[in-house]
Amino acid sequence: MTSYERLLTAATGGVPDRTPVAPEVFGVAGRLNGHTIYEYIHNSRVLSESQLRLRAAAGYDIVFAFSDLSVEAEALGCELDFHDDSYPAIKNPILKDLRDIKTIQLPVPGVAGRMPVVLDAARHLRESLGNDCLVAACVMGPVSLASQLMGLENFMYLLADNPKGVEKVLDLATGVASVYGKALLKAGAHCIVVFDPAASPVVFPPPFFLKYEVPRLKKLFKTFKAAGSLISWISIAGAIHRIMPFFIKTGINIATIDYVVDVSDAYNLVKDLIALNGNIKPYSFIVDPPDLIKDSVKANLLATSGRGNYIVGSGCEVPVESAYENICALVEAVRER
Amino acid sequence: MKKETELDKLLQYIVDGDAQKSVALSEKLLSSGVSVENIIHNGLTAALQSLDSKCTNEEFNLLELMLAGRAMMAVMDKVIIKYLPQSLAESIPEKTIVIGTIKGDIHELGKHVVKMLFKANGFRIIDLGKDVSPSSFVNTAILERAGCIGVSSLITLTIPYIREIKEILHKTGVDGIKVIAGGAALQQAYPEDLNVDFIAKDAFDALHYLTKEQAQDSSDLRNQSC
Repeated sequence: MTSYERLLTAATGGVPDRTPVAPEVFGVAGRLNGHTIYEYIHNSRVLSESQLRLRAAAGYDIVFAFSDLSVEAEALGCELDFHDDSYPAIKNPILKDLRDIKTIQLPVPGVAGRMPVVLDAARHLRESLGNDCLVAACVMGPVSLASQLMGLENFMYLLADNPKGVEKVLDLATGVASVYGKALLKAGAHCIVVFDPAASPVVFPPPFFLKYEVPRLKKLFKTFKAAGSLISWISIAGAIHRIMPFFIKTGINIATIDYVVDVSDAYNLVKDLIALNGNIKPYSFIVDPPDLIKDSVKANLLATSGRGNYIVGSGCEVPVESAYENICALVEAVRER
Repeated sequence: MKKETELDKLLQYIVDGDAQKSVALSEKLLSSGVSVENIIHNGLTAALQSLDSKCTNEEFNLLELMLAGRAMMAVMDKVIIKYLPQSLAESIPEKTIVIGTIKGDIHELGKHVVKMLFKANGFRIIDLGKDVSPSSFVNTAILERAGCIGVSSLITLTIPYIREIKEILHKTGVDGIKVIAGGAALQQAYPEDLNVDFIAKDAFDALHYLTKEQAQDSSDLRNQSC
């Protein structure tokens, strides 16, 4: 099987030739290829070539057309604080007053902020890999983008003081994800991963997720599917046990689980209906020797033995300062078993 | 009996995050003769304990904590403050904490939660904001006679800066100042990785640690005077 076939088979209920490996490798690919994070997130060729080289060397089954978590916010007008060798951060939220929402327009992905950089990277990755390896693109989920636009603290207070106002901001964020996701698919991405770290139950209680996030995720994934996305994928880091049963309602194929979520527990929570990707501890990629990473992978392979729908991965982004040998250890562990 | 019921109501308003009702009821209780200490102990502190047990039951979420914190701070700032002596904790190093988000990071929400919780528990908080250099933490802690530095970060790239804090404290000859760390990325590490005294799982965990340390210090002092 090719990487593409392997991952799609696992995601859609089949049994692949071996367990696929799909770690969230982003800026670390640039760094390990001798680039700064600034170069990685500004130069589409640096991004795509770094993805291609690291994947070819480490042997995993995915590449990502993804820059950083602030691309959408920047495209909407948020000013970013850029650093040479770390990801940018939003200087100030642009939606301090809900009345300003009328002044915010949906971005045109071909020209807005750094969206063209990521679109170009998606195009190049697809041209280079064809259908041999899955090209995944990522968008910010509704809760996270809404929180970025308002500032998380203000978004929380708005939820208590003006729930209808919250709906408006979430709808705007969903619109942005939809427009950007469709453009990424058109550029060549095979699928869209929705990142929504702020939708974690550690931040908002589960009834919030059910009421505000689930309907919007459903709508988003339906839109992406209609635009050609082969699989629907959600990634929310942290202890997500309490919202995992709701994932079934969103129509997703893959959920990423962090190191605090036990793999067997996770399958029970989603009634075995969704493929799971995870859950190697991100910090391990920085400090642990490769053998410890391999042990973690092998323990998961043992726990998921007989299943076709387990995908080895990191529970969250593989940190940018990770060791190369530790990324290679993921595939090596699968091959050794 | 009636006053106890009203205090229970105050506790519930705070836990529900209703700042307006919490302030109004606190004022009413004070004017009807309930002591400030009683309101703090059976209203505010009891509300904190209720949230604390939620934390340990894995029902924790930041939203409820932020809203309860906002209600609590409204009671503190609009009502209780009028009845408390000025600079209550200024001369007590164990009750003074310098907090901030370390250099290279700008995420402040977790720090705000810590700030609210500690203030409500009688600590004096010096908040240095975000992107704070290790030397600023140390200099301010010395200047403000703080007993502790609380450093926050959501990303692993900042770890080298966090490690520097203790090194600077040591070089400056003030090893007695505790350093505690918190934040999503840091929770995956061990205290020796970060060169800190403690890594808190959440704001309550940090509070328990410092309260325990304070009790230990008081006990040591008592033993010395014997």
